[in-house]
Amino acid sequence: MTRQRNDILQGTLGLLVLKTLATQGRMHGYAITSHIQRASAELLRVEEGSLYPALHRMEQDGWIRAEWGVTEKNRQARFYALTAAGRKQLAAEQESWARLTEGVTRVLRYA
Amino acid sequence: MSWYHRFINVLRSNRVSADIDREMAFHIAERADDLMARGMSEADARREARRQFGNRTVQKERTRDADVMTWLESLAADVRYALRALRASPGFALVTILSLGLGIGANTAIFSLINAVVLRTLPVVRPEELVQITIGDALGGSVLTNPIWEQVRDRQDAFSGVFAYGGVSLDLTSGGEVRRAQGDWVSGDYFSTLGLRPALGRLITRADDFRGCPPVAVLGYGFWKSEFGGSPTIIGKTISLDRKAHTIVGVTDPSFHGVNVGESIQVYVPLCLRPGLDARSNWFLHIIGRPKSGLTTEQVAPRLAAIAPSVFEATVPQHWGATEKADYLTNKLGVRSAPTGLSFVRREYQRSLTVLMVVVALVLLIACANVANLLLARAAVRGREMAIRLAIGAARRRLIRQLLTESVLLAGLGAVVGVVVARWGSALLVGALSRGSFPVFLDLTLDVRVLAFTLSVAVATGILFGLAPAWRATRIDPQAALKTNGRGVVEGHSRFTIGKALVVGQIALSLVLVIGAGLLLGSFRNLTTLDPGFRRDGVLLVSVSLRNSGYPADSYGAVHSELLARFRALPGVEAAGASQMTPISGSAWNDNIKVDGYAQKSAGDGLVYFNEVTDGFFAAMGTPLLAGRDFNETDRPASRPVAIVNETMARKFFNGRSPLGDHYRLVQHDSMSAPIEIIGVVKDAKYRELREETLPTIYLPVAQDAKATPYANYELRTSGPVSALAPAVKAMVAEVNRSIALELTPLSEQLDSSLTRERLLATLSGFFGALALLLAMVGLYGTLSYNVARRRNEIGIRIALGAAQGRVIRLVLGEVTRMVLIGVALGLVAALASTRWVGSFLYGLSPSDPATVVGAAVTLACVALAAGALPAWRAARVEPIAALRDE
Repeated sequence: MTRQRNDILQGTLGLLVLKTLATQGRMHGYAITSHIQRASAELLRVEEGSLYPALHRMEQDGWIRAEWGVTEKNRQARFYALTAAGRKQLAAEQESWARLTEGVTRVLRYA
Repeated sequence: MSWYHRFINVLRSNRVSADIDREMAFHIAERADDLMARGMSEADARREARRQFGNRTVQKERTRDADVMTWLESLAADVRYALRALRASPGFALVTILSLGLGIGANTAIFSLINAVVLRTLPVVRPEELVQITIGDALGGSVLTNPIWEQVRDRQDAFSGVFAYGGVSLDLTSGGEVRRAQGDWVSGDYFSTLGLRPALGRLITRADDFRGCPPVAVLGYGFWKSEFGGSPTIIGKTISLDRKAHTIVGVTDPSFHGVNVGESIQVYVPLCLRPGLDARSNWFLHIIGRPKSGLTTEQVAPRLAAIAPSVFEATVPQHWGATEKADYLTNKLGVRSAPTGLSFVRREYQRSLTVLMVVVALVLLIACANVANLLLARAAVRGREMAIRLAIGAARRRLIRQLLTESVLLAGLGAVVGVVVARWGSALLVGALSRGSFPVFLDLTLDVRVLAFTLSVAVATGILFGLAPAWRATRIDPQAALKTNGRGVVEGHSRFTIGKALVVGQIALSLVLVIGAGLLLGSFRNLTTLDPGFRRDGVLLVSVSLRNSGYPADSYGAVHSELLARFRALPGVEAAGASQMTPISGSAWNDNIKVDGYAQKSAGDGLVYFNEVTDGFFAAMGTPLLAGRDFNETDRPASRPVAIVNETMARKFFNGRSPLGDHYRLVQHDSMSAPIEIIGVVKDAKYRELREETLPTIYLPVAQDAKATPYANYELRTSGPVSALAPAVKAMVAEVNRSIALELTPLSEQLDSSLTRERLLATLSGFFGALALLLAMVGLYGTLSYNVARRRNEIGIRIALGAAQGRVIRLVLGEVTRMVLIGVALGLVAALASTRWVGSFLYGLSPSDPATVVGAAVTLACVALAAGALPAWRAARVEPIAALRDE
């Protein structure tokens, strides 16, 4: 069964958020979803229902930090930014992602 | 996010929810803007944005859970993991929890006593406001006369309520052996000033307290329960107190036991019922007041100082001499904060309790060291587990946290055991504080302060004994730990330096405790074996009161003589006498004397102690007459006044020559008495307490005292058991007159109860000293056994290469000796620095008593060698083949 828009594979949302914050800098939650959607050429869509719990959990883990700020449209928003620990975590997750995809690719090729 | 914030999140989840709400609202608004930019109408855009977002409540809960639950869940996971780890080694868990339970329990028990005696405020309305009125010189301290109280009550303008009270022991029977109730004389505003309510009926009020008032009584709650079964119909009935019927008007609240901490008042009677209220030198009252609102203690003081001159002017004792009167007028009224009430027990035991608190804290430290050692050994065993977890990416901080959770959990379980131990232990201690005639009552209900104390002790101990092992356990190079496969020929020594340091510390601390215990036990032994100048055993004291027995005052002397003659005739009585006071009873009578030819060195130098005795008193007490004669029937009121003195008196005032036939004169205010002839010298005997330097003492004959007294104390010496004499004594007195009140106490019991504090300190410090020693030896034994087990390969090789058994034993014992020597050296330094602190408790030995110190050190060393012998023997028996085959 194929879907028009891929829901993000369990466990990869964190990686995507970290990567987004690493490249884009300080961002609020909505901007993060928009960026992921845009950058994946609309292939990936972030469920709001997963995003905010994930953001808060990552904040608990100390990978990102959050603070309230004002957008250019003068709205109050919670902005997230990467921490040093988050940068390390990103490197680790990127590496394990690369290994996973390589592994999966090989298996698929073999089969 | 900091721990603090996480914790706050748990407590203030509303605030978190509001944050999440705002964040989600923002998201939906942004989405709606986007949709509108693509041409959707505003209303449709909003609806679509909300639809895409999904169920907001569910999202919100999930998000909040991420904030709060991540922390709680990881905590729960730690606790779960810790419980599993403990279940995996139940022996370890049991030993640890029990030893911590004993340690924490002992600490909680002593602390709950300190709490009850020193810290807890009275269970009355706003206790922090209460102040006590004191008198500003040595005359009475905080004890005042009724005339002073009446003057203060009528003149003061600083208090919204002020009351006086004084203790009294009331007889509940109508004759025969006395049954005492602990009572308080209370002035009219006693209960209203404290703001108390009755549990039943009404309390004593100002309307009950006037001269000539009818006899009423308020019962203490506990007394009402025990004596009247808590019967609600008791109001209006009467109770006999000192043979007088008192109408019961009410019962106090269960939480209130009187203003004196350490006793539980059973009956409250109005002050107006007390005989002799106008006596101006009868000191028996305490005054407590509640300052008018807004007045501080500092503002009350000048107001009292202002009325003081007129108060003392109006209450000068008329029969005093001119200089004494002048002294009296210089008295001042002072004020002192009294939120915790007054307490004899506090005065007597505060320092002892502090000493015990330190002792049990040290015992807990030693127990902690043992647990730390056990955990260290466990950490070594779990090295691979830690290595693997580190290798797969666990943060070191996370592992430490998890190990600390384990130790705090252990300590927490220990605390639960501890609370049970404490409940039992503190009740036992209060029982031990009580003397026969003076039951100590303390409210030991667990309050927030005690529970907070126990909790903090548990957490602190958990971290204390857990931190070092946790640090050690996680400081592993995972690669090395996994590669070595847990085996090597020679185990490094460095791994066990913490363990050895702990054992050295234990030895040092336990030596301090053993020396302290030795000193206190030695003092107690000195006190119980010293020669008090009379026989300790075989004497029964019979205290008799003829008051309320219907005898006219002028027949008291005759009744007492008849009683003495009958006591002497009782079978089993070898000798009998009577006296005004019995030794070591707490009562004393002193006066100033002049002896011609003796130059007085200071104002108090002529002060000597007195007692009034009958003939036969010295024979009954076993105090030898050294020179002269005993009193006899020739000493009559009309004959020349005579006296017997003790050796100290003879030595001090007569400079070594025989005082027989010499005289002294009594200083009576401004004049002198006629000369009194000394007819005998007796051996020195203790008077007020066993610890005292013998006081110069004069014994006067009862027969020459013109004042009739209804009271007398008889001393009956028997060859058989003292208790066997009691029934005959009671029967005989009842035969003379059923309404005579009497109390029987073996002399030995009276001496014992004067040593309650010393016995308590000696017993407890001995117990805790032994416990400390045992714990330290368990620690030593455990560490050595573990070391021997680890070095089994090395030892096997040594033996295989030809090391003799003796050499192997020396190897292990050398390790013991090193630890013991360092520990003993440290312990000695600490002991010498700290035992001075208990100096005031000691009797007959100095805080650095060499025999005690050396004895303790030698004992400890011997026990340590014994503890080390088993591991050493085991090491010598290592079978080289078996040890190496295991490889």
